[in-house]
Amino acid sequence: MRRALVILLLVAVSLPLLLAVSQLPPHGDPDNPPHVHIAPRYLESGPEEAGAENVVTAVILNYRGFDTQGEVTVIFTAMAAVVAVLVMGSTGTAPAERSAAAVPVSVIVRFIVRVLAPFIAVFSVYVVLNGHVTPGGGFQGGTIAGALVIALTLILSEQDARALLPRRPERLLQAAAPITFFVVGIAGLVIAGDYLAYPRTEALRWLTTIMLTVVELGIGVGGAMVIATIFRTMGADR
Amino acid sequence: MSRVFDIVLLLLLIGCALAVVRLKDLLAAAIVFSSYSLLMCLLWLHRGAPDVAMTEAAVGAGVTTVLFLVTIARTTRKERS
Repeated sequence: MRRALVILLLVAVSLPLLLAVSQLPPHGDPDNPPHVHIAPRYLESGPEEAGAENVVTAVILNYRGFDTQGEVTVIFTAMAAVVAVLVMGSTGTAPAERSAAAVPVSVIVRFIVRVLAPFIAVFSVYVVLNGHVTPGGGFQGGTIAGALVIALTLILSEQDARALLPRRPERLLQAAAPITFFVVGIAGLVIAGDYLAYPRTEALRWLTTIMLTVVELGIGVGGAMVIATIFRTMGADR
Repeated sequence: MSRVFDIVLLLLLIGCALAVVRLKDLLAAAIVFSSYSLLMCLLWLHRGAPDVAMTEAAVGAGVTTVLFLVTIARTTRKERS
């Protein structure tokens, strides 16, 4: 009886949904609304309008800047939630930091991390700073930097890992992405007359590039810190 | 050729997804999930979305796997049915 009721309910819910799907424009049709209005505009005038050669960066940071600000705020909030749950679940005092590996790290891992670390560091900075020309940007580069911090935390001793990233700057840098967005947004309000707007005149092109780079850097640093913090909080002994 | 590549990738993706659900060993599931992300990364690249591919490789295959491994290390490796 109950089973039949469930099936009936599922059918009743899915029928209108399927009906709605059947009314959608065909998938991949070049005449679909986004393909005739928005996409051509982005592709044609993205480079000069948004100041970024890479269309993806132009959309993320310029056309859809608000969305990205919301996104970095969500990421920051997620990290805050992880820290709140894990740290508040403990005895109330700050947890003693510890490398996540319970067993000693092997010589091979240690050696490979040491050899690769500088290259990963340079690559992450390159991905962040070159994001408006080539694929990449703050999110990608920040994740690579965060992974580097995780790798270093694994091979370093407790004190060295802490010295790599002292607590006070860590707390400030965790909020780097939302703060940078706010600062650049206000700067846009002053310079270009709208929150998160960028100057569009040819003479101020350099300023747009600087603002985009600052935002990318903020996202990169903030993202890396969020990843490193979540890893450390989860790996810390309680 | 390009279509064959897509089909092979998608079949492997489905295989990985099923394996992740079926596996009782959570460590193995995390590793298979990481390879799922790598396949997904290849697929993004093949579809002309290098930005998404980079994110997928870094977040999906890298950081998520590490977080899963930390969680397994701190909890238990076998799934109880």
